[in-house]
Amino acid sequence: MTNSLKETIEAVRKSFQTALDSFPTDQREIESLKSAYFGRKGELAKLYAQMGSIAPEDRPKAGKAINSLKEECTRLFEIQEKQYITKDSSNGDALDYTLPGENQRLGSRHPISKTLQEIKDIFTSVGFHIAYGPEIDDDYHNFTALNFPQHHPARDMQDTFFVQKDVVLRTHTSNVQIHLMENSEPPLRYIVPGRVYRNEAISFKSYCLFHQVEALVVDKNISFGDLKGTLEYFVKRVFGNKVTMRFRPSFFPFTEPSAEVDIWDEKRGQWLEILGCGMVDPAVFENVGYDPKVWHGYAFGLGIERIAMLKYGISDIRLFFQNDKRFLDQF
Amino acid sequence: MRISIEWLKEFVDVKESPGSLADMLSMLGFESEVVHDFSLLSKIVIGKVVTAKKHPNADRLKLCTVNDGTDTLNVVCGAPNVDAGQTIAFAQVGAVLPGDFVISKAKIRGEESRGMICSERELGISDEHDGIMVLPNTLKVGRPIQPHLDKMYSSLELDLTPNRPDGFSHYGIAREVALKTKRKLKNIPVKISNAKSKDIHKIAKVTIEDAADCPRYMGAVLHNVTVGPSPEWMVERLKAAGQRSINNLVDISNYVLLEMGHPTHIFDYDKIPSNNISVRRVKNDKTITTLDEEKRKLSKQQLLITDGKKPIALAGIMGGLESAVQDNTTTVFVESAYFDPVTIRKGSKELGLLTEASRRFERGADIHAAETALWRVINLVQEIAGGELVPGIIDEYPGKFKSKNISMRRSELDLFAGCKITDKEVKMILDGLNIKHEKKKDFWKCTPPSFRPDLEREADLIEEIIRVYGYDNIPSAMNYSSSYLLEHPDPEQSLEDLRNLFYAFGYQECQSNTLQSKHWTTIHGKKSIAMMNPLTEHMTHMRTDLLPGLLEALDFNIKNGSSDLYLFELGNIFLQEKKGFAGMKEIPMVCGIMHGNRVSLSAHDQAKPVTVFSVMGHIDRLCNVLGVNAPTYDPLEMKGYQKAFTVCMGKEEIGVLGTVDPDFIQNLGLEIDNPVHCFNLEVNKLVPLMQHEQKFSPINVYPVMERDVDFVFPEEVETGKVSQKILQQNYPNLNDVFPIDIFRHKSVGENQKSVTFHFRFQHPDKTLEDKEVSSVINKIKRLVLSEFDAKLRSSN
Repeated sequence: MTNSLKETIEAVRKSFQTALDSFPTDQREIESLKSAYFGRKGELAKLYAQMGSIAPEDRPKAGKAINSLKEECTRLFEIQEKQYITKDSSNGDALDYTLPGENQRLGSRHPISKTLQEIKDIFTSVGFHIAYGPEIDDDYHNFTALNFPQHHPARDMQDTFFVQKDVVLRTHTSNVQIHLMENSEPPLRYIVPGRVYRNEAISFKSYCLFHQVEALVVDKNISFGDLKGTLEYFVKRVFGNKVTMRFRPSFFPFTEPSAEVDIWDEKRGQWLEILGCGMVDPAVFENVGYDPKVWHGYAFGLGIERIAMLKYGISDIRLFFQNDKRFLDQF
Repeated sequence: MRISIEWLKEFVDVKESPGSLADMLSMLGFESEVVHDFSLLSKIVIGKVVTAKKHPNADRLKLCTVNDGTDTLNVVCGAPNVDAGQTIAFAQVGAVLPGDFVISKAKIRGEESRGMICSERELGISDEHDGIMVLPNTLKVGRPIQPHLDKMYSSLELDLTPNRPDGFSHYGIAREVALKTKRKLKNIPVKISNAKSKDIHKIAKVTIEDAADCPRYMGAVLHNVTVGPSPEWMVERLKAAGQRSINNLVDISNYVLLEMGHPTHIFDYDKIPSNNISVRRVKNDKTITTLDEEKRKLSKQQLLITDGKKPIALAGIMGGLESAVQDNTTTVFVESAYFDPVTIRKGSKELGLLTEASRRFERGADIHAAETALWRVINLVQEIAGGELVPGIIDEYPGKFKSKNISMRRSELDLFAGCKITDKEVKMILDGLNIKHEKKKDFWKCTPPSFRPDLEREADLIEEIIRVYGYDNIPSAMNYSSSYLLEHPDPEQSLEDLRNLFYAFGYQECQSNTLQSKHWTTIHGKKSIAMMNPLTEHMTHMRTDLLPGLLEALDFNIKNGSSDLYLFELGNIFLQEKKGFAGMKEIPMVCGIMHGNRVSLSAHDQAKPVTVFSVMGHIDRLCNVLGVNAPTYDPLEMKGYQKAFTVCMGKEEIGVLGTVDPDFIQNLGLEIDNPVHCFNLEVNKLVPLMQHEQKFSPINVYPVMERDVDFVFPEEVETGKVSQKILQQNYPNLNDVFPIDIFRHKSVGENQKSVTFHFRFQHPDKTLEDKEVSSVINKIKRLVLSEFDAKLRSSN
């Protein structure tokens, strides 16, 4: 073995030792140090490359010396490396299968979207289409055309946000009823989901906004019985076949006869109101230019939050708008 | 409206329990709840105070002995009105009062007390707590109190709909009960005497300026009235209906209001020296002080009762203080009128004053009932306050009631009901509702009574028939005969697809308040839309950006212990782009934020924080999934962002992404210390890109050849530009190129970086040979070296 090779081996050993003394902490730097010595063009590879230029009789000895250097370096490197790469849970045969699975991230659907999707599925399955409309609308579409007379106590039924004298944040998605009928010819069978606003003090049971799904059916021979049948189908799909429900007479300016639907809450021993409905008032048809002698129809409106609250047992409506991860995680 | 069941029984037999009565009324459209449930009271009995002496150790207390039917017990009582001989409600030791108040044996100021003498408040009857409740002496000592309380105070709370003014009284509700149960409805007892006499006209005169405001005004005068307490029966009735007794005259007017729903008013006659009552709109009048001692500003909207000169009452809303009955009043003028609903409604709205009277007038009182109510008040004043009627009554009636004739077609009734309701049933219902009717060949000619102003059209009558017939008796159906559109039922289906993608990326969907403060909505200098009547000062404007709402949610969650969050919201923002309603724009946006760690610390992983590249990755993937071309991100300066890029898909700028400026967060008043990265895209620009036909491309089955090449660049060279340049050359079979490693080290050189590019080659029809790939790689090397001031790492 030539002295020069011997010296080179010693030089590599020395520089490797120096490198180990200031062993890097960054994963990428560790990798680059590794390739600087053990890589294809690393220091050890260069040593092996010199084998070709030495005398054949010296080769076994030289090979042995380089091999032992390589073994030594590898061992030292691995010891150092292990100290910094501690996050290797799959270490050879000693796997600990009691470790938890790796964290996987999955988003979540807001309960309002989730409930709305369910409602859409139910109604589209029986031939309803879906329409959308503006959240800011004029008084005419939100009230007057829906047969809320200008100075009538019926207007107190919905506390209204005014943007201008005759412009409101819609108090229900029924405004879209009017837009729909103004822009299309009967027959119609639609549900209209959307955000609506009420100027009411915020509490566990009311928020300044909520989401509504309104439905409108216009056809030639539509009866109160059809309204009942459709809503019974809906309520059973949402709350199960065993649900007990009743149609209780009520009043909405844009329907007549009007009703509210209650379901029986076994736990609390009381009726809970879930939606309002009725046959389209002929005055509404007249306002949009439909002939009430020819066309009949029904409408109903339900609060998505209300349905979700009953379905999931949520007792405070404010939770829907707080976006608390501990709430969102549950859907 | 509170209905006393005992009072209701005056007009109709009630055999139902309060619960069943509430159900029956609910199913007639009068949503009802039982107010008092005395069945929960136990160990409360009728007792008798045997002795009541001053407590030896306390001035305000009394030491009593009470007979509870079995024992005579010592009881300490604090009520000033307790006295020997009284029959009282006695809570024995162990009794539980409303509010879970348990009575136990006690020693009060050294004296033993074994039970409690109850006040009305303690029994949950009223707010009365000044003294104990004294019961009639006829009650038998030792018996439970419940039957007595049930009889006297059982009541229902009715939530009335605005279309049913007739429901605002015991008589109106009795009419509905009689109708549903087919029981007899008794009349309101009224004695009419000397109605035609002209005497009254010598001492009082009424003029009505406009019959449209006041179609009818009736009045009467009674002398020698004695103001004093009301009789027990009246006090108890009012109490059961939730009203406090004031004095006999005030109580009479209230009593008649609750009994038959018609508001009346009693003036002190001597306070109207002109004897001349004039009903008119406000002219030069400035203010009136009303009964509640409030000085109210008047406007042209108000209808007044005047003494010819100055206002003495707000017509149909509230009386004036000056003309009100007082303890020394001896002569009264009784008013029973009918005012126009809209006039009263406007007046009451403008004053912000809603009273029992205005509530009834604005819904439409019964013009005919004005007469009955007048006589009912006269009779009660005569009976209770000893008044003597000046013969005759005033009846100014310029706006005569016109009854309506409405046809109700059999065919239309059948169509609405979806079933056949027999003629006999229809007749019974119309009769019960006091609707005059005549059956013609295929319709009924109907005339509704004056107390039902809501019955104006055929639909109103059909509703009545179906309502009384019972919604539950209508058979359910689902008959849809017509055909409908065949397009996709949901025009917003693409938004669902979008939502699903963000769920898959790990975002949690939020819904935040549209209403925000002016500061938040104008922070970008955008014009926001303001509420005229905001709910709070923090909710005065419509949001102009979804980002602040999401940052607020982030702030909330960080404060509640979660900071690794991906949140998104899909919703409208609102801008005032031009003046007026037409200039208000609703723009659907989708906004998302990322904060904290992308990979959280675990036994398997080191924590890895989110970066702006995390957001870019999602938008890249979004385009990929939607089948849209890869987006480009062009840097821009934007308020609110530390680093922002426009997101361009094809030629369309669909929004921005970037890192939120910490100053912006602070300016919103939020505390978020770590970087927040976000995207904010316009849905209306995104959706059209999504709506294209999806086509399958054949799978390339030939192997992919991969190569890595290390280049050394000056720091300022952007890797994206390099990839782009290479791809622009359209090298044969090169499918993709992207950087997989960037390495900086002194061995690489000062201000230099080594970048490893990964190349993927694939031929559509054959397996590539090594030399084919190598020749392209060599071309690429030459290109990069010449274009980007680069070196090959291997030549180092």
